[in-house]
Amino acid sequence: MPERTVPFFGGLVSRPTTLMEVCGTHTVSIFRNGIRSLLPKELTLLSGPGCPVCVTDQSEIDAALSLASLSGVTVTTFGDLLRVPGRDGSLLDARGRGADVRIVTSASQALETALREPEQQVVFLAPGFETTAPSTAAVVLEAAEKKATNFSVLSLHKLVPPVLRVLAADPELAVDGLLLPGHVSVILGEAPYSFLPERYGIACVIAGFEAEEILFGLTELLRQIHTNRPTVRSLYGKAVRPGGNVRARELMERVFLPVDAPWRGLGVIPSSGLALRKEFRPWDATQRFPLPTIPAQEETGCRCGDILTGKLTPPECPLFDNPCTPASPVGPCMVSSEGSCAAHYRYALRGTP
Amino acid sequence: MSRLTLGHGSGGRLTQQLVHRIAGCFPLSGHDMEDCAIAPDGSGATMDGFTVTPRFFSGGNLGKLAVCGAANDLAVRGIRPEQLLLSVIAEEGFDEEELLEHFRSAGAVCGALEMRLVGGDTKVVPRGAVDGLFLSACALGREEPRREEQLGAARLQPGDTLLLTGPAGRHGATIAAARYELNVPGLASDCAALWPLLAPLLSLPGLRAMRDCTRGGVGTVLCEWAESRHLGISVEERTFPADPGVVSVADLLGLDPLYLACEGTAVVAVAPGDAAEALRLLRSHPLGTEAAAIGIVTENHPNLVSLTTHIGGRRLVDMPVGELLPRIC
Repeated sequence: MPERTVPFFGGLVSRPTTLMEVCGTHTVSIFRNGIRSLLPKELTLLSGPGCPVCVTDQSEIDAALSLASLSGVTVTTFGDLLRVPGRDGSLLDARGRGADVRIVTSASQALETALREPEQQVVFLAPGFETTAPSTAAVVLEAAEKKATNFSVLSLHKLVPPVLRVLAADPELAVDGLLLPGHVSVILGEAPYSFLPERYGIACVIAGFEAEEILFGLTELLRQIHTNRPTVRSLYGKAVRPGGNVRARELMERVFLPVDAPWRGLGVIPSSGLALRKEFRPWDATQRFPLPTIPAQEETGCRCGDILTGKLTPPECPLFDNPCTPASPVGPCMVSSEGSCAAHYRYALRGTP
Repeated sequence: MSRLTLGHGSGGRLTQQLVHRIAGCFPLSGHDMEDCAIAPDGSGATMDGFTVTPRFFSGGNLGKLAVCGAANDLAVRGIRPEQLLLSVIAEEGFDEEELLEHFRSAGAVCGALEMRLVGGDTKVVPRGAVDGLFLSACALGREEPRREEQLGAARLQPGDTLLLTGPAGRHGATIAAARYELNVPGLASDCAALWPLLAPLLSLPGLRAMRDCTRGGVGTVLCEWAESRHLGISVEERTFPADPGVVSVADLLGLDPLYLACEGTAVVAVAPGDAAEALRLLRSHPLGTEAAAIGIVTENHPNLVSLTTHIGGRRLVDMPVGELLPRIC
């Protein structure tokens, strides 16, 4: 295999510059490929709010835990949501106490479980951004078509553009450019991001997840900043069409309605979540089961909100590494393998040898 | 009150800490606490417990896994596996034909190794007390040839070359694919007895240490070696043999192949002068055709494992913490 070349950023970084990768998959790829070790020191790379597990609010985990405690209920969800702590432990702890909590890798696997075990009430906890929401929508439609009365969805879905709006409007956060999430943009296309350069002067690049694609993306961001011409540019042409995936968005709109949603550490963001529309109430877990009213959040000292918005780096959180570790996480950024704290812990806790 | 989690059994940092706490309960315990014990007369013994879901997977089954796992713990210390004891704990209602199928697979491995079953124990427990079938295998053998200084991490020297006998993570990726119902054509566990592959290396004077990279994968073995000798280890990502099936499962589930279990793949440390010959010997065996030199032992960055990535970046390889869970998207 030929040696791969490393780009030279030097000529493009003339002043201290701060870039943020929004997506957790980018965060992990950046760490895993040692990209930080290749950046000039004037260039700061922050990790943003694009890890779906990390932004799942404690109240949402508590709702999931109360569902799991009901007899006859099977809770299905993606693996990395299992360790996120709620008020009384995590879903993994609940499973240890005998609750029926199962890992699935897709929404359709959850529905299959329900169809296979008609005597169980199967709830699918559906976290994720625009990437996973269309498949949840498709499964809700399929459940409706098959009249699966023992299947329901607890939607924890969140939308990316609203949280970027909050970030962009935050005067404390001085981000010069955003590396936008590839997968989410496959669905959304480029248009929903145009307010970022137009209103806030933030350079934007949609990039893929391979090391070279990320380096290319960072270089393009620096070029936009250097020439003072911020725009939204997609370098992920193999997957992102400018208009996105219309069919997937139609599916989402058919099944879901945008609602105000709580984000871990960031509070409630207007129209940033997705709830099932009225006609799909029979498959809405919040309608089918009695859920507790959300009690006040317990103070953990966790600085998730500041981590997710790049105001603090993970090692600057007072809980990082003591007591918050991937083995006993205090906050969700340490739980998900794509969380910035977990990525820091796994790949950079002891520096770069 | 502290309770065990699946993370304590996943082979990484938590397992290491738990093993230290267990060893602390014993007034007398071995100072190196490797997977295999070697007596002064050169005889070696190891034991290992096996439980896997599913019990049948592409490339093997629980029975084959048990014999290979135990025999490999001896083989990597230069001990020819000769005798086997098997303990069976089966759940009431377990299908006898399936039980025998596991043992036929185990028997086939023993036959190829000329390893004799010499004893064991069989228990059937009430339904629900175990999940189907648990096997424990104890393997006994003799150092071949006898050596004054045992093979092991204690022999590692700065400058040693590290070889990997095949692509990392095939067993772990196969099990993960089966568990999460992913169909990956061509992906199979590397489950195999390593003695025939490794035995030819034993005559090399520069052979330092070998380890089969089971739970915790190649990354964990490298970390344990670096920490146990207070030396650094540097590896180059682009030299690693890779299996396309492992790469796709790992990408899809957000897992790192470096931490996925192997059941027939070893890391070998050898003095630089013997590295080329060791590599030639490995590659001439069907299990080692993809063997490669992946890095070196160094005095730089003691206790740490450094990885130079495909694009020339550098990063830490740290021990995994807790159970590996697949991510969302």
